[in-house]
Amino acid sequence: MPLAFRYALLAAAVLLAALLSLAIGQRTDVGLSNVLQLLFIDDGSLARSAVVDLRLPRTLIAGLIGINLGLAGLALQAVTRNPLASESVLGINQGAALGVAIGLVVPSLLVVNLDVMAIIGAVVAGIVTFAIAGGLGGRLDSMRLILAGVTVGAFSFAFVRFTFTLEDNLSRLVLSWTSADISSSRFDQALPLVFWASGGLLVSMLMAHSFNILALGDGASQGLGVDPRRARFTGAMLAAVLTGASVAVAGPVMFVGLVIPHLCRLWFGPNHRVLVPAVALGGAGLVLFADVVSKLVRFPYETPLGVVCALIGAPYFLYATLRARTMA
Amino acid sequence: MTEIGLPRSTTSRAVTLIVALVVLVIAAALWGISVGAVAIPVDVIVNTLFNLDGEQQTYIIIKSRLPRMVLALLAGGALALSGAIIQAVIRNPLASPNIIGINSGAALFALGMVLVFPAIPVAWMPLAACIGGLLAASFVMLVAHYRNLSAVHLALIGVAVGFVFQAGVDYLLITSSDSESSAPMIWLTGSLWGRTWGHVAISWIPLLALSAVALLLSYRLDLIALGEGTATGLGLNVPRQRLILLFVATMLASVAVAVVGVMGFIGLMAPHIARRLVGGSHRLMLPVSALVGMLLVVLADSIGRAIAPPIEISAGILAALIGAPFFVYIMLTTASET
Repeated sequence: MPLAFRYALLAAAVLLAALLSLAIGQRTDVGLSNVLQLLFIDDGSLARSAVVDLRLPRTLIAGLIGINLGLAGLALQAVTRNPLASESVLGINQGAALGVAIGLVVPSLLVVNLDVMAIIGAVVAGIVTFAIAGGLGGRLDSMRLILAGVTVGAFSFAFVRFTFTLEDNLSRLVLSWTSADISSSRFDQALPLVFWASGGLLVSMLMAHSFNILALGDGASQGLGVDPRRARFTGAMLAAVLTGASVAVAGPVMFVGLVIPHLCRLWFGPNHRVLVPAVALGGAGLVLFADVVSKLVRFPYETPLGVVCALIGAPYFLYATLRARTMA
Repeated sequence: MTEIGLPRSTTSRAVTLIVALVVLVIAAALWGISVGAVAIPVDVIVNTLFNLDGEQQTYIIIKSRLPRMVLALLAGGALALSGAIIQAVIRNPLASPNIIGINSGAALFALGMVLVFPAIPVAWMPLAACIGGLLAASFVMLVAHYRNLSAVHLALIGVAVGFVFQAGVDYLLITSSDSESSAPMIWLTGSLWGRTWGHVAISWIPLLALSAVALLLSYRLDLIALGEGTATGLGLNVPRQRLILLFVATMLASVAVAVVGVMGFIGLMAPHIARRLVGGSHRLMLPVSALVGMLLVVLADSIGRAIAPPIEISAGILAALIGAPFFVYIMLTTASET
């Protein structure tokens, strides 16, 4: 299949998922037949308001965090040269969640806003994980990296869970946020994500060449004029920032960053210049699809997005670990 | 029991150590009964427990704190024994009931029984947990058996199996709970909050029986530790013994999960600490592990209540906060085979 056709197919799938995500919901007067009309023509009806004010921000957020998490996973897999790496497996997701939980529970510790707290948490968790596994400079042991990440994740999440035992309203807020319930998202939450996702896409495109060269090994990358330490550091920071930005808005959505780069590599090959746009599209598509599923599983009730993604992603992670010896 | 094979000095040292641990466990349990939303002085506890003259606090102690202490002791001992057996049988210092997925498997089945089939009496919950735990453990062990994995890779697969069951637990929790969502939540993070004599009633027989079996079988672990060839030469059917031992270990951890929830890292830490204290001989190591496990769980529960009463920090959270760095330490000191 020619590359352009594969991109077009993926983009069509994303659009379809977005359309379904907009069209499905509790209101019976909004459906696939009239959702586009409601979206573009302001007829002042309640249905129009439901689509534009309630469903559109949610669909946007789902798509944008998909882009962020997919790109973050791709960057992490490139810098660690480890196909099992991803922000949720390396504890970065949970670290970001811890940052947000601290910001919510102890307002006096809040630095700037929750986005910044999440990014700080993500960066710290990433540094700890990498330090345990051998550091950015040394040879990273791939299995240890993952186990270290899982442990850092468990540690961070133990702190997050601690907030469940605190005051009732706060615990309900944190609980619904940790299961990545995006059903009450509003536009002002989606806008910063547009900024993060487009920035992330741009930086990833710029780094695609370095990612390709990192895959050749440290010696080769130095010979080809890419400082491997710097490339790894930039890539890991990019992943942490993208993860933090998504976690602050939607909560810790697990495994997207693992699944999407894998599937895209199967379909688009290992060249990161081709992969970056594919992963962005694929990530958006997966989370939008998960959003659709989250609305349908127990219709008319909703299942939080995080739970749906975990149900899709956890078996995939198991499958990937079973294959890990041949892939590493 | 027997001095054969153990130098006398080791035995006397071990006896001293075990006595010291028992005293520590009792002291910790007493402290655990005294701290909390209502602080109770030790003399009142003693008066109440032995029905002596003087001030008594029957309601709080007998109805609320005593059952949770009993459960902490039972579960701590069970998790530690389970971890010690698993580490010995699969010869992996990173292994523990939590790491090879038993805890999440047991939690999923126990929770599934309660939420999906509410008609089944709650006394069956330990059995449901055992089925889940066995399922998770047998999957991990089968993979390990056919793929000849390194210690770290095996732990990784166990973690992945744990994630799968955890995803199921999350789904069940979110879809079937509404305003009372925080109660099952606390149950799953490993907690002794709100435990009653009912929980003790459904778990004490299996836990004590399985612990006794584990202690009786400990000499077989020593034989297995000699190596498969030697153990077979000494008349041990090694593959069968391994299966029996793993079965006992899985049941121990699963029943514990059914009553106290997922309490990670206890099964990892206790055997390591015990090995530091008395060395690798399992006849000593197993009972010491059990005592250390009891001490850890009782302390985790008591500290969680003592930090900021009336708020309770659940024991599972404290165990994770101490256990996660411990796991990293063990991982860094385990020679990588990859």
